[in-house]
Amino acid sequence: MDAGELGGRLEAAFPGRVRWTARSPKRLYATVPADALLEVFDWCRAGIAGFRLGTSTVIDLPDGVGVFHHFAINGSPLVATVKVVLPRPDPRVASLAQRVPAADWIEREMHDLLGVTFEGHPDPRRLIKAEAYFDVRPQSRDFDPAAFRADVDEELRNRASPAEGRPDASPTGKAEP
Amino acid sequence: MSATGTRRIVNIGPFHPLLEEPVGFALTVEGERVVHVDARMDYIHKGIERLAQQRTYDMIPILLERICGICSVTHSVCFCHAVEDLLGIEIPPRAKYIRTIIGELERLHSHLLWVGLAGHFIGYNTVFMWSWRYREPVCDVFEMLTGHRQNSALPMVGGVRRDIPERYLPDARKALDTLDGKVRMLTDAVMDDPVLAARLAGVGVLTPQQVVDYGVVGPTARASGVDTDVRRDDPYAAYDELDWNVITRTGGDVFQKAVVRLLELTESIRILRQALDRLPAGEINLGLQHVPRGEGIGRYEAPRGEDIHYVRSNGTNMPERLKVRAPSFTNIASFKASCLGAQIADVTITLAACDPCYSCTERTAVVRNLDTGREESLAELVERSRAETRRLATEMGRRPDLDLPGE
Repeated sequence: MDAGELGGRLEAAFPGRVRWTARSPKRLYATVPADALLEVFDWCRAGIAGFRLGTSTVIDLPDGVGVFHHFAINGSPLVATVKVVLPRPDPRVASLAQRVPAADWIEREMHDLLGVTFEGHPDPRRLIKAEAYFDVRPQSRDFDPAAFRADVDEELRNRASPAEGRPDASPTGKAEP
Repeated sequence: MSATGTRRIVNIGPFHPLLEEPVGFALTVEGERVVHVDARMDYIHKGIERLAQQRTYDMIPILLERICGICSVTHSVCFCHAVEDLLGIEIPPRAKYIRTIIGELERLHSHLLWVGLAGHFIGYNTVFMWSWRYREPVCDVFEMLTGHRQNSALPMVGGVRRDIPERYLPDARKALDTLDGKVRMLTDAVMDDPVLAARLAGVGVLTPQQVVDYGVVGPTARASGVDTDVRRDDPYAAYDELDWNVITRTGGDVFQKAVVRLLELTESIRILRQALDRLPAGEINLGLQHVPRGEGIGRYEAPRGEDIHYVRSNGTNMPERLKVRAPSFTNIASFKASCLGAQIADVTITLAACDPCYSCTERTAVVRNLDTGREESLAELVERSRAETRRLATEMGRRPDLDLPGE
């Protein structure tokens, strides 16, 4: 199946709810409303053998927060990207991890990077970001790397300062000379 | 160890002799049997996606080579695939063959490294010694052709940055001839070994359905009979012009995962021989490309499986978004399935069987000087390393042999 064929079948199955473009026979980009995501996923998974979640991208778009699920099919060159765009300030979408464990970690990562809430996720803990920076959203347009660095440096300097009197307080774990 | 009723939690990591990188596993066990696995991943996350979004398209492949200590070709070429998909361009034939050659050399040394480590993990150090011995000439060939054992700095959007020197090709062929015999001996030795079969068969099984549900890729998926390989399914470089086979096995246990990798070694040598023989003359790149607005997806068959990069451009010289998904990201998550019901003693080799790569999963590091707030350059890092060697040599009363003529 090529990208155009899958796009046409999606449009027929979900009339008026899917907008798609095929940039090449092996790359499909389809935009669906957030409330149709699970239905579209179930439809694809039931009808296409070897349909699996490759990965997902979270992105801060001018008109909202984008969650792009990239699906691959074993044995096929086709990558189908299903996009939902969620309104700020509280982006929410149904979790695919309810259906397949492949979505578990990537949804947790997307929550860490841009604060998207995945409703129905069985285990929505943080995955890759340290506890200390829980409120920092590194993929946000408002994220200022310079200010973040200044904060972290300040904290490391405080930890390294001999005034605390702890020999293990330096970031290297060794006492400063 | 904490106890709740008859269930206990056994921690492996975050720092453990069996783990080459920091990662934490908490096994919930009943007696010796594992009933739940939880992984903690945040130890080496350094934000490489954000770093890449602050660099130009020409700088990014160099940065991405440093995601992983093994897959340097993987990530830089995969990024190039994504941008080339966005641009809709085809790279010159010679560049395709050069990418094939460095990609397969990487697969060879990665699989040999894994086979050695797997032998070591189950206490079979003969395999470790053999395998790592045979890996060295592969790294030497990589260095002959690219100038470095790991980070070639060759891939760029639209081709490769430098040509490989023709005068070393005969040496590369000779090294492959020697390696071929050794690899066949190693493969036969492992496949015929009754102790290895008894130890590894039936351990850490993934069913084909679990493979699809967890999105497992690469040799880990192929050992379960799932016939997937990006080199054939979504052909890139010169793979569609060469004669080679996708190795699949059934059973999905650790033994089959080892067999798939061993047989892939022979296929890689086949691919390399053909690529070296047919290396066409001509241009090696299309020059610097202007990247317009748009989006592209690159796929690449890394030694561990399918790598995916997504690039979105807003028309400037830096990407608006780069998403990197290394194969280990999905393969490690499948431990929840493959370790369930296993004995504790089998867990370590099951964890190792997907050839996990934690730095890939969490993505790279830079070194920043706290006093100046600046990222240190390669030259500064090298100088730091040399200063440390000199200091140690002085302390030990020895003369450091670092200083080359002209320094």
